[in-house]
Amino acid sequence: MHYTFQWGVAFSYLPELLAGAWVTFHLTFIGFWTGLVIAVFLAVGQVYGGPWLRRSISTYVVFFTNTPSLVTAFFIFYGLPEVGILWSPYVCVLVNLILNAAAFLTDAIRGGVASVRKTEMEAAETLGFSMLQKIRYVIVPHVAKVLYAPISNLYIVFILGSALAAIFGVEELTGTAFNIAARTFRSIEIYSITAGIYVIMTVIASTILALVGRWAFRVKARIF
Amino acid sequence: MGTHGLSQFEIFFTWQNALLWLRATGITLSMAALGCGLGFILASLLVYLRTWPSLLLLPVRLLVVAYVEIFRRIPFLVLIFLVLFGTRAMGLRMELFWVACISVTVMATAFIAEIVRAGYESVHRTQWESAAVMNFGRLRTVLLVVLPQAWTVIVPPAFSYFVMFIKETSLASQVGVYELMQTGKYFNNIGVSPALSFGTTLAIYFALSYPLTRLGWRIERRLKHRFRRPGGDDGLPTTRVLAGV
Repeated sequence: MHYTFQWGVAFSYLPELLAGAWVTFHLTFIGFWTGLVIAVFLAVGQVYGGPWLRRSISTYVVFFTNTPSLVTAFFIFYGLPEVGILWSPYVCVLVNLILNAAAFLTDAIRGGVASVRKTEMEAAETLGFSMLQKIRYVIVPHVAKVLYAPISNLYIVFILGSALAAIFGVEELTGTAFNIAARTFRSIEIYSITAGIYVIMTVIASTILALVGRWAFRVKARIF
Repeated sequence: MGTHGLSQFEIFFTWQNALLWLRATGITLSMAALGCGLGFILASLLVYLRTWPSLLLLPVRLLVVAYVEIFRRIPFLVLIFLVLFGTRAMGLRMELFWVACISVTVMATAFIAEIVRAGYESVHRTQWESAAVMNFGRLRTVLLVVLPQAWTVIVPPAFSYFVMFIKETSLASQVGVYELMQTGKYFNNIGVSPALSFGTTLAIYFALSYPLTRLGWRIERRLKHRFRRPGGDDGLPTTRVLAGV
């Protein structure tokens, strides 16, 4: 081992890293929720839409779920300026995150909606439920229960995936770590602290999601 | 057009470049395959230790739990840099390809360990008990009773993680491994338009990932159909809700 650890130096950059963590938080928060709203519409379109709508939505989903988000990010970041669209790195990464999140979430939600059994819908029909009542009392409780855990997991996955924003110069957690490591050469210490912050962030997120799920949908989600 | 006097198409469409892309595809695939293969072996070992009922191994168990929980919550990009600088600090000057392979292994071990554990848990407790009654040792119980029943639960999500890691290894381009992403960047740098260079990268990733995903669904449907266990739920197919264990 030719390396002397200097944790003191590294920890003095903690405030800067936490500022980066805040950027990671709002990047993923905005990206994920926008993606979720889009995904709900796309999933509904995929289940109830006409053949053309269904085909184009599934093409979009298949494309984004089968390509690395890093490559689509490069495509957006370097491709759009070619056609005269100049976005800041943050916007590029956010758009890429939304596009990816919407695709994965559409896939998940469609699976959940499809898992509502036909007999349950027929039972609701027999009881004279209106469409809104069916959504409120049959589809949503069922879908929420089935999908809550996978969707919370996807949120964690997207927090971790947002690290690729660093490559495009966004000063989120990993990007800040890049910069500090380049200035100080304390790479191992800085990246370890960064990893620690990610672990803490995602544990907090999982805990909050599990509590909300238990309170709102009576889902027994595992935190660990 | 272009400053070289050559059009980007003349630069790009040569058979040498086709070989370059082929090589890059091979590197991407071998990183994912080596990492996930090793990860699978290590994960099986970890779960074997984690589910050991003896109190003596409690510290080992806690370590395994900590490992799994921590490495599932670190971005792959950060992990690659940690492995890179960590191995360099230890004086190991290994090739970047191996750095990436180690990173994939470290992360795949944590993810697949959760899958293998879910497989263990899917086998009813009475099966363990009857094996104990038959005087089976622990290793024999796992190999002859638990795994033959658990593999139908383990294989589909493990396979979908393998496909996920094919895409995840694109981040290895950041330390300079010449896989698909890095090759796309190279062509972009020598003056090929982003649409062509990154488009090729996208197309190859898609051509790798899509058939494998379809294959994964087929495997899953087959296994579900053939080995339907009484009382097993027939809810969501696991591989469809990617990354959610």
